[in-house]
Amino acid sequence: MKQQTLAIHTAPERIDPHGALSMPVYHSAAFEFDSAADMEGAFTGRLHKASYSRVVNPTVAYLEDKVTSLTGATATYAFNSGMAAIHNALVTFAESGKNIVTSKHLFGNTFSLIGGTLRRFGVKAKFIDLTDISKVREAVDADTCCIYAEIITNPQMEVADFRALADIAHQHNIPLIADTTIIPFTRFSAKDLGIDIEVVSSTKYISGGATSLGGLMINYGRFDFVDKRVRMELLYNLGAIMTPHAAYMQTLGLETLEARYAMQSANALAIAKALREVEGIESVNYVGLEDNPYYELSRSQFGDTAGAMLTFDLPTREDCWKLIDNVKLIRRATNLFDNRTLIIHPASTIFGNFPASVRRSMQVNDTTIRLSVGLEHPEDIINDIKQAIQ
Amino acid sequence: MKITVNEEQQEVHEGISISELIKENNVAQPEMVSVQLNEEFLDRDDFAATILKEGDVVDFLYFMGGGMR
Repeated sequence: MKQQTLAIHTAPERIDPHGALSMPVYHSAAFEFDSAADMEGAFTGRLHKASYSRVVNPTVAYLEDKVTSLTGATATYAFNSGMAAIHNALVTFAESGKNIVTSKHLFGNTFSLIGGTLRRFGVKAKFIDLTDISKVREAVDADTCCIYAEIITNPQMEVADFRALADIAHQHNIPLIADTTIIPFTRFSAKDLGIDIEVVSSTKYISGGATSLGGLMINYGRFDFVDKRVRMELLYNLGAIMTPHAAYMQTLGLETLEARYAMQSANALAIAKALREVEGIESVNYVGLEDNPYYELSRSQFGDTAGAMLTFDLPTREDCWKLIDNVKLIRRATNLFDNRTLIIHPASTIFGNFPASVRRSMQVNDTTIRLSVGLEHPEDIINDIKQAIQ
Repeated sequence: MKITVNEEQQEVHEGISISELIKENNVAQPEMVSVQLNEEFLDRDDFAATILKEGDVVDFLYFMGGGMR
C-alpha cells in the first residue's frame, strides 16, 4: 500500500466495544487484567499490553503503530514533545565518559541539551562541521556513543551526506540519530539512508495546525537493546510519554499529512522563487531552489520536496524587525508547519539567550528572517511581505 | 594582556584562569554558566586549570530558556 493509504487505514487493535471507526481517546491511568499471569507479562515486558498510561496507552500505541507501519521501522515511541523524544533517544545511548559527535547547527534547545544539560552528567559534545566527512571521521573515537544530525539545519539550511555519516557510525558500531522534522517521513526512507534512530517533533507537520505537542522516536532495529531500554527503562523512569489526547490529535493529523505537506512544500517553493525578485531582500535560502548548494544532495536523500521552511536576509537586524512588525496576514509566532504562515527572527528569539559570538559560530545571523509556510495561497503571503518591506 | 569576553575586549593579568575570570567578571550564577574558549566548550572541571593567553576569545553562556522551534 502507498503511504497516504497506510496513514488512513493502519488497523487498530479492535478493542473498542462499540466498534468506533476513529481510535477513541483512552483517558485512563490504569488498565485491568484478567489474570495474575497477564499482569506479570505486562509488567515484565513479555506482553505489550496497557497496564499504566505512563508506559503504554492504547491511543498512544495506535499512533506509534501507524508511524511504524508508515516508516518500516521496528518500533516507534511517542513522547510529549520533540525535545522529550530527542532526550530519550540520546540517553538511550549516552553515559558519563561518552561523547556525542554533532554540529553546532542544531535547534537551540538541542544544542543546550547536548552542550549544557548532558554535559553536566559527564556526556561530552564534539561540535564539528558534519558536512565535512573527513572531520567526522577524525572526531569519532572509541568513546563516541552516537552521531547526531538534523536533516536540514534550522535556520542555516545545511544538508550533510547521511549515507556517509551512517557508514562512519556503523564502522564504529554506533547509531546515526537524525532529527527529520523538516521533511515528513512519508517522503523519504530514513532507513535506506542508514539512519538508525529517527526523531521527529510531531508538534510540526503531524499535529496539523499546531494543536498539540509531541515527539516521536522511530527505531529501525539495528541495536537490539534499544526497544527494551526505552520501553522498560526510560518510559518508566523518565515519564515522558505522549498524552492520549495529543496522540488522538496527532493521529488525525497524520491522516491528512500528505495532502497538507504537498500544498505547503509547493507553496514554500513558489514563495522562495518570488521573494528573490522582491526589492530589499538580499538573499533567499531554500534547499528546493535549483541553485542552492544542497539542492542535489537533498533531492538524492529526501526526495523532490524540501520542506516548508525558508529563510531570507535583509540588510540589517532593524530591517528584519520592521518587516516583522509590518506584516498583516503572516503571524508573528514560533513553531514550524502550522497551517498559518509564521514569521520569526531566530537570532533574537530561539537563539536570543546566546551571546552574539556564539550565535555567529552557529551561523545564526542577525539579518535572517525565518518563514514557516502554511496553507494560504502563496500570492497572499508574497503580497504581505511586499507591503511589509516598504 | 588583551582577551575578548562576550564580544568585548578586556585587559586581564597574565596567567589568569577561567575560574578567576568568572570571579573578576562577577558572572551571574557561576554554578550555571557554561564557558566556550575559542569556540570550544570547556568542562567545568577544567575551569581552574585553564590559563588564558593573549587574544583568547571567551564566551559565557547559559543553557537556559531559549526557543520553541
